Amino acid sequence: MLSIKNLHASVEGKEILKGINLEIKAGEVHAIMGPNGSGKSTLSQVLAGNDAFEVTEGEVTLNGDNLLDLETEERAREGIFLAFQYPVEIPGVSNLQFLRTAVNAMRKHKGQDEMNAAEFMKLAKEVSKQVDLDPAFLKRGVNEGFSGGEKKRNEIMQALLLQPKLAILDETDSGLDIDALKVVSDGVNALRSEDRAILMVTHYQRLLNHIVPDYVHVLAGGKIIKSGGRELALELEEKGYGWLGIKDDDTSN
Amino acid sequence: MKSVPMLSSAFLHPAGESLPEPLLALRKERASALVDMPLPTRKTENWKYSSKYLKLADDMAISLPAEGKTGNSLAVPGYKVVFINGVMIPEASEYPDLDGIEILSFNDLANDEAEALPAKLGSTLNHDQVQFARLNGARFEDGLLIRLKPDAVLDQPLFIIHETSADASGSAYPRIYVEAGANSQLTLVEEYTSSGEASALVSTVTEFNLADGANVTSIRLNMEGENVQHIGATGVLQQRSSRFESHCVGFGGPLRRHDLQVRLEGEGAETKLNGVVVTQGKQHYDNHTSIDHVAAHCNSEETYRNIAADQSHAVFNGRIHIHQDAQKSNADMNNKNLLLSNGAEIDTKPELEIYADDVKCAHGATIGQLDETSVFYLVSRGIGRRQANVLLTMAFINELVQQIPVEAVRETAQARLSDFFEQTFQEA
Repeated sequence: MLSIKNLHASVEGKEILKGINLEIKAGEVHAIMGPNGSGKSTLSQVLAGNDAFEVTEGEVTLNGDNLLDLETEERAREGIFLAFQYPVEIPGVSNLQFLRTAVNAMRKHKGQDEMNAAEFMKLAKEVSKQVDLDPAFLKRGVNEGFSGGEKKRNEIMQALLLQPKLAILDETDSGLDIDALKVVSDGVNALRSEDRAILMVTHYQRLLNHIVPDYVHVLAGGKIIKSGGRELALELEEKGYGWLGIKDDDTSN
Repeated sequence: MKSVPMLSSAFLHPAGESLPEPLLALRKERASALVDMPLPTRKTENWKYSSKYLKLADDMAISLPAEGKTGNSLAVPGYKVVFINGVMIPEASEYPDLDGIEILSFNDLANDEAEALPAKLGSTLNHDQVQFARLNGARFEDGLLIRLKPDAVLDQPLFIIHETSADASGSAYPRIYVEAGANSQLTLVEEYTSSGEASALVSTVTEFNLADGANVTSIRLNMEGENVQHIGATGVLQQRSSRFESHCVGFGGPLRRHDLQVRLEGEGAETKLNGVVVTQGKQHYDNHTSIDHVAAHCNSEETYRNIAADQSHAVFNGRIHIHQDAQKSNADMNNKNLLLSNGAEIDTKPELEIYADDVKCAHGATIGQLDETSVFYLVSRGIGRRQANVLLTMAFINELVQQIPVEAVRETAQARLSDFFEQTFQEA
């Protein structure tokens, strides 16, 4: 589904990704682990199309089509979804209005009828229950005054509404207490399906206890330096990133 | 030394004579005081950013005739008074006879009724700051006197539609005087619209005199066309425990100026001023507000937002003056501005003068652009870039639009804002 070949990317002239190669097939769950500053978030942002990052070399295809040629919104409509590490607060735009606009943009792209306010409200209420968000949140500004955990649940709610082909979860576990982690993981597991791929980006392996990946990759210095199965994450937890010769001040968890 | 431009004497010629005698006399007196009135230049502090937009030609001195279509009069969910070019049109107006509430055209006043007016007209304004209110005083052809007896409550909003109909060049001088008796209550909507293409000047004065405990909501919707230069002044005097709330929504034009002056003269008076301005193309809009805390224990809260697109220019000047005896004053002024293009200009200036020592006074002003992170967040969900821009721009003013307490006005404002977005954010 997603094919990344020799991807190089920089921000403000500084090269962050230095040749990433990764193949993700439909139905698979991949985890990318790595210390701070290894390029994990940059990879997520580049895939989603943040033009603050410049791709200097390499190619990325989604089901054979060149992803890098597409605008951010076109990538989203083709099925790329990024759950943000730091979801943005947008006072003045209600969560409901935002979600409905997004869902309808997607439906329009697929040639489906747009949902009216009442239909969408019904759907949104159901999905908000699934991630344990009070429907009252729908009326508030996008992420406005949400706690860290509420913001992350709102991200997963969006994924459930938009039903992407590839969901990229950027540090989705950060800032979550154990209950919230469980809710978020249940939401992500509900997304797992044969025709969908999930790419999790995380510093810690804690999330992987709840969402069990098929493959684990270690990213360091802008490159994937080791790939393996589930057991690689456990080994990393036990031995720390130092085990792979990576310097990291913050691997104890 | 370069000579200072003066108001052309053409503007001082006598106008129509249908007003009652005391008002004709007042007008004449005010006109004689205007001889050699200097026009504002960029050296005039309160017109610094706006004088270049003022373009008065002699042919605009002529009073526009009180005739013309009343336009596509929107379905007004309340009482309605229609003015064309500053003169009331009774057949287009609809308001019932109400107990305790008088709504009278100046032209219909008997001489003895009109005798009390000259002392009142202009009494709420500091004319040094609103030079053009004087011109209105010298030129008004008619006006509206609204008197609420103590405890009178107007059960629905009163809409005053001021239409400028300019098939030939000229000017109009709408005038409103509201006397709200003790504990009376009123919501007044002033809607300024226009038809015709000839260049016109509209100089307005609206005054509110609130007795103890009166509660007045004023909504001002400025939607005149590209041929109209608008200079308006609103004066508010508030006595003890009265409450005034203002919602101004303005769309730019070749020259748009509104001065809003509030004097809190009685203890415990409260005022809340909200304003939204959007400008595009080469449009201009200038809001000058001034709040005088004269008495102690008064509250004022002011929130203005400007959005400027293309090469347009918006100005906000907010003055708060806390007088020596106004202890325990609470004043909060906030002005946020959004620039939608590199060619647009916004000037904002808070002016605080505080002479009392036990007060709370906060002010804040910001100028920014659409937040790229927010745009990225929205488009990463499949929302088109244009729509994301519209959502975020609307979000900037939504809070204020939602606070407008009359639904029909909110809808009119929203519809006009949609047009603004349509033109500002082109489809990619």
